[in-house]
Amino acid sequence: MRTYVLRRLLQVIPLLLGISFVTFVLLQLAPGDYINTVAENPMISAERLDAMRREFGLDRPWYVQYGLYLKNIFLHFDFGESFARHQKVFVILREGLLNTLLLALAAAVVTWGLAIPLGVWAAVRQYSWLDKGLTVFGVIGLSIPEVLSGLLLLMLAARTGWLPVGGMHSLDYDQMDWVGKGIDLARHLALPALVVGLTPLAGRMRQMRGNLLDVLRLDYVTTARAKGLSENVVVFKHALRNAINPLITLFGYTLGSLVSGALIVEIIFAWPGLGRITYDALNARDQYLVLGSVLMASFVLVLGNLVADLLLAIADPRIAYD
Amino acid sequence: MPRRVRFLGLAAILWLATALLSGCGGAGQAKSAYKDTVPLPAEPLVVEMAEPGTYGGRFVFAETAPPRTFNTIMANESSSYDVTDGRLYVPMLDFDNATEEMKPRLASSWEISPDGKTSTWHLRRGAAFSDGHPITSEDILFSFEVYMDDTLHVSLYDFFKPYGQKFKLSAPDSYTVVIETAGPYAMLLGVVGSVYIMPKHMLNPAYQAGRFASAYNVNTPPESVVTSGPWKLKEYVPNEKTVLTRNPYWCGVDSKNQRLPYLDELIYLIVPNQDTAALKFEAGEVDALDDVKAENFQTYLTNQNKGNYTFYDLGPTLNTNFFWFNMNRVRDSKSGKKLGSLYADPVKYAWFVNQDFRKAVSKAIDREAIIKSVYYGYAVKNWSTMTPGNKTWYTPEVVHYDYDLEGAKKLIAGLGWKDTNGDGIVEDQQGHPVRFNLKTNSSNVMRVAMANFIKDDLAKIGIAVDVTPLEFNSLITNLRQDFQYDAILLGLQSATPPDPGMGQNVWRSSGITHYWNVKQPKPETPTEARVDQLMSENVQTNDVAERKRTWKEMQDLVNEQCFIIWLPVIQFKVPVRNRFGNVHPTIIPHRILWNIDRVFVKAQQPRA
Repeated sequence: MRTYVLRRLLQVIPLLLGISFVTFVLLQLAPGDYINTVAENPMISAERLDAMRREFGLDRPWYVQYGLYLKNIFLHFDFGESFARHQKVFVILREGLLNTLLLALAAAVVTWGLAIPLGVWAAVRQYSWLDKGLTVFGVIGLSIPEVLSGLLLLMLAARTGWLPVGGMHSLDYDQMDWVGKGIDLARHLALPALVVGLTPLAGRMRQMRGNLLDVLRLDYVTTARAKGLSENVVVFKHALRNAINPLITLFGYTLGSLVSGALIVEIIFAWPGLGRITYDALNARDQYLVLGSVLMASFVLVLGNLVADLLLAIADPRIAYD
Repeated sequence: MPRRVRFLGLAAILWLATALLSGCGGAGQAKSAYKDTVPLPAEPLVVEMAEPGTYGGRFVFAETAPPRTFNTIMANESSSYDVTDGRLYVPMLDFDNATEEMKPRLASSWEISPDGKTSTWHLRRGAAFSDGHPITSEDILFSFEVYMDDTLHVSLYDFFKPYGQKFKLSAPDSYTVVIETAGPYAMLLGVVGSVYIMPKHMLNPAYQAGRFASAYNVNTPPESVVTSGPWKLKEYVPNEKTVLTRNPYWCGVDSKNQRLPYLDELIYLIVPNQDTAALKFEAGEVDALDDVKAENFQTYLTNQNKGNYTFYDLGPTLNTNFFWFNMNRVRDSKSGKKLGSLYADPVKYAWFVNQDFRKAVSKAIDREAIIKSVYYGYAVKNWSTMTPGNKTWYTPEVVHYDYDLEGAKKLIAGLGWKDTNGDGIVEDQQGHPVRFNLKTNSSNVMRVAMANFIKDDLAKIGIAVDVTPLEFNSLITNLRQDFQYDAILLGLQSATPPDPGMGQNVWRSSGITHYWNVKQPKPETPTEARVDQLMSENVQTNDVAERKRTWKEMQDLVNEQCFIIWLPVIQFKVPVRNRFGNVHPTIIPHRILWNIDRVFVKAQQPRA
């Protein structure tokens, strides 16, 4: 098991190297650089722009820039500095990563907390009105774009005053006790988590339903029923455990995509996450910040897959890594 | 097992429900009773305002982006300047947005010698940084040294070199600074008023070590950011908010000798989305908005009473809109092209350099229609970089070519251009159909809309336009590096003070913002040669009447040539809550914030 994890982690290095190379080349191919974005100041002179280009090393050929970037990573574990903020990339990304993980986690609670019970419910009552109703609800959730549902929910919050309009903390957050802080955070988290969590809900719910239906048709379930076990025990103890395997794999994938995929929600809900940092960096052609953030997101994605594989081994005794 | 599964679902629902029900946190604001314990300076700065206020409360301002640094000298974006300039740091003298004059700040007075070459600045005695350290001539010399540093080469660098020679500074004593220039310099006050004073005792080590660029970055602990302005940094939460609080040593007082600012906190809340910011304003979480879409102006006007705010009309913006044709030549030996060769297609270049063609284009554009449709009526015509919003430098009777369809058609006919094949597009004398692309940045919907109006208007005189909205970076690359365009529609941001001398890069033929033909080694046209000469005359005198004369002539010359095709500018409006006193937003940056040290929470609040 330990060697397996180690091997998987070692595989990450060439992968990240490849990702960093592709990202760097793409950034070079895109027109313009960071200096362009500051050039629209009527007072700025050509000399100032040249001085900045030299300061940031942007006057050198791209392969030299990339070589230096790699050298600093391998020799000093230094992922470079943001042009706009004059700060280490790592420091900036750390700010956003925790917030994004929190949002991703809350969204996962919404998705899985609703998808598994509702999927099971729909499966055991197949083709009932409830099953059909849940399907309709799921499809609606899937088809409303996040921009729209986000803004509509924010409008509701603004008109009713039930929930705060975006942001992560109240202005008086620092003066609250820990209970107050917890409630405050939960109130700010509720709407963005709902929006992020609702989109994959339909898919996961249908998956759960389908898997469980497949399993419920198997012989051992019939046997269990014939033994006279109660329906609850049959469904939850015998069938569910077998039906849930593919969902565990999916869980790992969603963890990775949630980290990179919450950009729109982060912007609309003024959530201080990684997506916004990356987006701003991309717009400003702040290249080392973009690279750092892409590498970080890739790493989390790989990590998510690894976690899923390990969870699978725990859930299913037939699977073993060695 | 079933319980556990059900529990999962229940937990998700419960959390959403408790979040909802746990009450609506009203922004409760207790009035603080601030006790000023620091003795007032020997020479306090008495700040003019409508009414003296009282201490306490906070003001929440929404910004789309966070400050990138607290080091104003190295900052490049308005989200940083909004926090640093005038708030954290002040210059010796500052532009007063209300009167549009330069007013004393850290200097109590100054005099300029009759020959205009020497200015003597007397520092305010008793003025101190936010750590209590006195502000002396050492700090002034240090700040100027950084601004004029050859390697840092900050944006303002060229302005310190009138007549090609750098400012000479000296300090006869701790409270006097002498600045010498090679000759009279119109931009002297403007430039000195743009040098924000930063603490030498904190920053000199970093400067000497060559680390000035990263000094005072946003990771600096708030208490280490020592400021010279009315405010100091209290808290910075990345991508969430920046909180300022009063600098207890600030030298500004009101007429009752109460030290400013009145507010306990000034909060810049980061709200990247404009619609979210509007909703936050509606919900009362934000006290003012600086960026409202013209399409929403009517809604804001109608809801003023209900929302308990005032929708201030700031008049025409100082930021301009215009387009121009690419008459650029290769100026850079590194480009691999022959120096002096054309970037534009020679066929098109022949049209672009033709004054009658440019004049016909300007005359074909129905600006009234643009104002009505693109700006919902909230815009005015404009013919200069100094818009009607500029009290000092706006010139009403400047030469211009407004909508005159018949006149435009006559000009085109006069060129001998006719539609010979009946496709609706005229051909030039060599038979080339007259068609060009007009690029603009896709993120600005107003510009894209204007470009589409221009396309329709020019179709009426037989000129075909291909509107090409581009991502901002690509556009700037076309504009600055590869010059691959026929025409670009863009705008210019106003500098502070809004003085023609601050826009020399635009007017001088050698400038990099002289868009239609940048970095000319020698002026290519007699008009541009004359404008260069006028620009030099304009900044090398202190006689305002004379400056206004040369300024008018420059505008007339450029507009007669239609080098720039001018477009209307928006009438700016901003909403601010009524519970604040001394609110006085102006069109000049920083619109709402410029006098925030005087803003206070009124005693009686109509609605909590």
